[in-house]
Amino acid sequence: MEAPPVTMMPVTGGTINMMEYLLQGSVLDHSLESLIHRLRGLCDNMEPETFLDHEMVFLLKGQQASPFVLRARRSMDRAGAPWHLRYLGQPEVGDKNRHALVRNCVDIATSENLTDFLMEMGFRMDHEFVAKGHLFRKGIMKIMVYKIFRILVPGSTDSTEALSLSYLVELSVVAPAGQDMVSDDMRNFAEQLKPLVHLEKIDPKRLM
Amino acid sequence: MPVAEGKSVQQTVELLTRKLEVLGAEKQGTFCVDCETYHTAASTLGSQGQSGKLMYVMHNSEYPLSCFALFENGPCLIADTNFDVLMVKLKGFFQSAKASKIETRGTRYQYCDFLVKVGTVTMGPSARGISVEVEYGPCVVASDCWSLLLEFLQSFLGSHTPGAPAVFGNRHDTVYGPADTMVQYMELFNKIRKQQQVPVAGIR
Repeated sequence: MEAPPVTMMPVTGGTINMMEYLLQGSVLDHSLESLIHRLRGLCDNMEPETFLDHEMVFLLKGQQASPFVLRARRSMDRAGAPWHLRYLGQPEVGDKNRHALVRNCVDIATSENLTDFLMEMGFRMDHEFVAKGHLFRKGIMKIMVYKIFRILVPGSTDSTEALSLSYLVELSVVAPAGQDMVSDDMRNFAEQLKPLVHLEKIDPKRLM
Repeated sequence: MPVAEGKSVQQTVELLTRKLEVLGAEKQGTFCVDCETYHTAASTLGSQGQSGKLMYVMHNSEYPLSCFALFENGPCLIADTNFDVLMVKLKGFFQSAKASKIETRGTRYQYCDFLVKVGTVTMGPSARGISVEVEYGPCVVASDCWSLLLEFLQSFLGSHTPGAPAVFGNRHDTVYGPADTMVQYMELFNKIRKQQQVPVAGIR
């Protein structure tokens, strides 16, 4: 047997900050097929991938005005996949020339007892939903076309109801901080999807 | 399936490792298990009306890509190493008790199906105790091999052999996992933290 890895240094700081670059748009149900068709042509050649996820959003209220938000997502159709915990920071302000919404992002894969653990930490669930749709990739870009379903009975994913008559389209990239050409590539790709769907930078704060 | 216990003095580590080498164990590099403590910041307590909880974030070189987070008597979360980055973001809500960072480092031995790790437990610059971990590879259910483990432990620990770890409790027949190892380490570190610093002169 070869020697195993040597002592592991605990991670303290100085890790790379990852940023999520995001463009969003939507299409009505009846336009879905043509959008999928075009995406299949433009994106990397792979088996069409569908997903069915259940996402729960947890809040931790402290003395600060804004609570700390964490998103816990689990796959309902892939047994054995780890749960996905995601932290998204505030969108970066300034730079009007930047074509995409940029925010700090930390992604963590966890074991299944995530919700129990978060409750123990003091988080409380704010809302939950089910997302069902298609996933495409082009290089480092990820394109998701999905429908959001509202959960009628809290805790049970059996009874759901569609939130709208449309599909949400998201083009996102997770890359280390400072790589601004990523948003240029995203805009160029978004141009190719017009006029089927208009992907743009949507500031969440303007919606509140 | 591991067992961890604390003992008396630093030089005993050498005695133990020599005993293991005489038995025929092969040295296989080093290992490290560390533990940081966080407690809920005062600002989050007011709205919840409960006393602050202690959360332990641990790493184990046996599982280099994982991070273990646990509460005493609570759930143990196994996450990937980005969890440390998240803890940095949660600075305002969970404060790290820097002084109580504790770790054990030492050598890893392989003896047939047993994996033995003997380490020195240190808190800051001072050595506080010794940890011995024994893992029996082929078995995943505790009750099936506890007597075998006990016999092996007695062969080199003699009178210091511990009793069955609390982690087994009423779960003797369930599958053992890495989270159970980390709970045992947490209990060991807590025990050592509470002890007074042992004087260097004591040798059996």
